[in-house]
Amino acid sequence: MKRRKERIDRGIKARSEDIFALTSYREMLYLLFPRAVPVVILLGLTPLLSPYWQEVLISTAVYALLAISWDMLICAGLVSLGQSLFYGIGSYIAGALNYYWHWSPLFTIPVATVGGGLLCTILLLPVLRLRGIYFAMVTLVLPLMFLRLVEATRILGGTEGLTGLTPFPGQLTALYVIQLGLLCALFGFRRIINSDYGLIVRGINDNDRAVMSAGLNIHWYKAQVLFLGASVGAFTGAFGTHLDMFAGMPGFALDYSIMPLAAAVVGGTGTFAGPMLGAFILVPLSEILRALGALRIVFYGLFLVIFVVALPEGIFHYLQRKYHQFERWVEVE
Amino acid sequence: MLKVNNLMVFFENALALNDFSMEVKEGQIVGVIGSNSAGKTTLMNTLSGLIVDMRIKEIRRGGERITLYGKILFRDEDITATGPSERVRKGIVLCRERHPIFPESDVFENLKIAGYLQKRSMVLEMIQYVFELFPALAQLKSRKAGFMSGGEQQMLAIGMALVARPTLLLLDEPLLGLSPMMQNLLVDAVKSLRAKAGITVLLSEQFARPVLPIIDFGYILENGMLTLTGTGEELMENPEVKAAYFGV
Repeated sequence: MKRRKERIDRGIKARSEDIFALTSYREMLYLLFPRAVPVVILLGLTPLLSPYWQEVLISTAVYALLAISWDMLICAGLVSLGQSLFYGIGSYIAGALNYYWHWSPLFTIPVATVGGGLLCTILLLPVLRLRGIYFAMVTLVLPLMFLRLVEATRILGGTEGLTGLTPFPGQLTALYVIQLGLLCALFGFRRIINSDYGLIVRGINDNDRAVMSAGLNIHWYKAQVLFLGASVGAFTGAFGTHLDMFAGMPGFALDYSIMPLAAAVVGGTGTFAGPMLGAFILVPLSEILRALGALRIVFYGLFLVIFVVALPEGIFHYLQRKYHQFERWVEVE
Repeated sequence: MLKVNNLMVFFENALALNDFSMEVKEGQIVGVIGSNSAGKTTLMNTLSGLIVDMRIKEIRRGGERITLYGKILFRDEDITATGPSERVRKGIVLCRERHPIFPESDVFENLKIAGYLQKRSMVLEMIQYVFELFPALAQLKSRKAGFMSGGEQQMLAIGMALVARPTLLLLDEPLLGLSPMMQNLLVDAVKSLRAKAGITVLLSEQFARPVLPIIDFGYILENGMLTLTGTGEELMENPEVKAAYFGV
């Protein structure tokens, strides 16, 4: 007797995809539960944490946002290694507005978000036609270029940076600002990518020539996606500036480029929730490992390798499958 | 030479091949005829061992689960779990559908890459044979393979499979996308392969008309199931085959 493992959708998944979902609490709960988890955890439970862990959570959320921004670009097939470009530009715009013209964070953050997104899009517009490794290389180089530019010309405070900027009223305010931003980006981007517009974006990643043959200008769509991703990155930069009361060269640090990438790989790309989940595992983990001193990086690297080897599809894809599908043994013939 | 016993292939819950058995005898040209989605390519991938590799990749990606049942015997040796490279060493070489070639290399380099496992003198000899078989290729020797037409690429793809010195050559839809003239040229080439080099050929095709006259034995696949078997002439006379594949 031969048996094989069968993998099928849960009945409740098939039912809740339909309008039928609205007629039963169980189906509604099934749909609502995964969406409610991040909202409840982020907004509900975080004020209960100690100030130290609140701080960790803030930086986690910053990396999560950058990872989401990276994921948005990957949806259109743009492999970016320059999330720090978005972070740094956002950080300097917000910092300069606050330092020279004394704008309140209430205005600097939105202006830096949109302005930073626009500026980054324009900067990367010439290389948008490049694919794969070339786009990645240019995004990697640009932040390093800006770093040296600031150092050499001593504009925007030079190596000292812009100090003494307006802080947030309290840690809890900062926490809620970044978490609301995170939730907006997460649900907003998921919505966009599942709409007809997102279909085009994913199509560009899949087969850009076929999208071109459909009469769509893929460079225009790519630019739009780049703007969305860069805006989110610039937002985190502006937020980080007011959090640290400082805008400077560390904004272009390589950390902001590499960490989101690692988070996306661990969490699973293309879902936005995956990279966010990845960031929420990796950043606190690196904090916990701090006690190990110099060995920290060794363990951290080891942990990353284990993750990538054991679950190459990413944690989120795995969880999603377990939630929607079940497996059972069936007889063949 | 090659024996397939009760082969079943599942792609997740979809059954691609259902209880398929066949036999290829030394020196025969055997055809597997079927329409689209009949399971021809799955059969070819399974026989060449590519499916073993595909399964590992899908597991690592967490994608579709590929389940395999049944037995493949090559010269009375069970090769069901053998990897594709090992099967090439044993003499089973597949020429995949849609003529996959190395587009950045020229024709001569393509053929040399394909003969990596062979001795240098042997490779040159085989390349000479390929150029004899397809005289058109000889003139395109230093042309970049990516810039050639579909038919030329198909000839090159078959040539690459030949350089690996198969004893059993698997051809997956060799006539796909070729003009009737090109099809005749390829069919003649397949015939002379057996006559001159003594290579056993198993080919899958959906255009039955050019293929049926040259095959010794044919299997008709439908939705992964074997529906008809017989010699080439028997199949040509069969009214169902006539209706389905000749449009008579």
